[in-house]
Amino acid sequence: MKTLLFLGFLLLLGLWYLSFSATRLDRLHHRVETSWANLDVLLQKRAAIALEIAHSDLADPASSMLLTGAAYQARDADIKNRSMAESGLSGALGLLISDGLPHATESEQALLQELSALTSKIRVAISIHTDAVSSTVMVRRKFVVRTFRLAGKAPLPVTYEFESDVL
Amino acid sequence: MLTTKLKIGIVCPYGWDTPGGVQNHVRDLAEFLIASGHSVSVLAPAIDEDKLPDYVVSAGKPISIPYNGAVARVLFGPIAYARVRQWIGGGNFDLLHLHEPAIPSISLLACWAAEGPMVGTFHAAAKRQKVIFAIGPILEPAIEKLSVRIAVSEAARLTLTDHLETDAVVIPNGIYAKRYSDGTAQEKWSGNTIGFIGRFEEPRKGLQVLVDALPIIVRFAPDVKVFVAGPGDPKDFEKEIDPQLRDRFEFLGKISEQEKADFMSSVSLYVAPNTGGESFGIILAEALAGGACVVASDIPAFDSLLGGGKYGALFQSENSTDLAKVIIDLLRDEDKRKVLAIAGKKRAQQFDWEVVAQQIFSIYEMGIVGGKGVTLGSDQRSWNRFLSRDEEKR
Repeated sequence: MKTLLFLGFLLLLGLWYLSFSATRLDRLHHRVETSWANLDVLLQKRAAIALEIAHSDLADPASSMLLTGAAYQARDADIKNRSMAESGLSGALGLLISDGLPHATESEQALLQELSALTSKIRVAISIHTDAVSSTVMVRRKFVVRTFRLAGKAPLPVTYEFESDVL
Repeated sequence: MLTTKLKIGIVCPYGWDTPGGVQNHVRDLAEFLIASGHSVSVLAPAIDEDKLPDYVVSAGKPISIPYNGAVARVLFGPIAYARVRQWIGGGNFDLLHLHEPAIPSISLLACWAAEGPMVGTFHAAAKRQKVIFAIGPILEPAIEKLSVRIAVSEAARLTLTDHLETDAVVIPNGIYAKRYSDGTAQEKWSGNTIGFIGRFEEPRKGLQVLVDALPIIVRFAPDVKVFVAGPGDPKDFEKEIDPQLRDRFEFLGKISEQEKADFMSSVSLYVAPNTGGESFGIILAEALAGGACVVASDIPAFDSLLGGGKYGALFQSENSTDLAKVIIDLLRDEDKRKVLAIAGKKRAQQFDWEVVAQQIFSIYEMGIVGGKGVTLGSDQRSWNRFLSRDEEKR
């Protein structure tokens, strides 16, 4: 009787742990998704601003072309090529800003300010996202999670290799 | 801009009516958020429940436990847990902001109990401790629930990455820079004067280092005076001071915010000889905002706050000879003092609440994306689902 009780207790404990891990993993997946949604919105906004800058007088025809191309690429890129496209856009913006600043009018200044505010937000969003991804990957490597397939059919999140020095 | 109005719950782990940096931070943040139109409720332990501002909810009386080399007045236990759950369940919050969630306190309890958008701010900077490796695996699942982690300084961030292997966004502590910038220079504190503010009885505040440096300073600047402000009984401390130098020291006791502003614009040098245990150094930010020329020990928090010496002079921590050298240098060179003070004042604007609260709020915005408000974790669906499925099998 005693051993039965003990075994029952162990079973319950095991079940509790499984459920606990499953909840934890579910939460982490959720975090990965929301942080990515966050980042995605910010990046889309940045591409829009980049286009606006490209069409303003800030950019000479050559950099305007470069910027427009990069912005469209960043918008259209699928998940695999996204980070490369975004880095390309960062590069194009950086190139322009490094020498385009002195003759900016007021409205253009406002545009640039918006861009720099957005950039700092993006930086934060990236670090939040990569953190969520790395903790999820860490938990998914755990023995219990793999054996009992607690992750279900959720795909393993991919780390996006963003250039950490966006602008 | 702060456009969307949120319902924010803030948890302060330390006793509301005991003095401390975290409490001040939470109070200022809550008041700033309320002033910008958000509704805020703060849950904190409190000794005297009648004297709380109306946005604070008491979680019970705090108990004193030794933690991180000091006595922390915190609260935990089943009754506190019930109160935390009640507060979360009834609060209907959009977001929870937990302060110092990695120490045993109501912040940690709230982190356990709640489900939904949560932001955590880590204040402490501590050396790598062995004990954390024992409790790390317990903390990990809880800390993981935070959507975004904030560290108040680079030192605090390093502590976090070291201890819990998770990254954080650095957002400094806030000050009301304007309150300190309009101080008027008082004659009684002017001249060859050195200022110090803090609980001087605590060894980690480092007043002893300054006392040891004084004999050398006096040789080069015979009319130097030291003003010490802060709560505490100076009698015991005065015994330690060389009798010949005793009249150089003047203890002012606790001073008001306005006096602080005057103090900062009067003294020639503000000295912060702290030997450690400091994560951000709010007093230094205040001194800079007040236009004081600052001399500080080169502990990591101060080093980064002063930009490695750009906004104030640094000396080797706990080295009173080095401190004396730096002080004498600056006392003799008024231009250098002015340059540092002007650079410092500019630096201090970065810590103004206008700037800091904006940064914190944009973190809130990222935290609440996709969330449907804060609920109690005990209504855990998968846990219940698991149980019911189990019963079906039998």
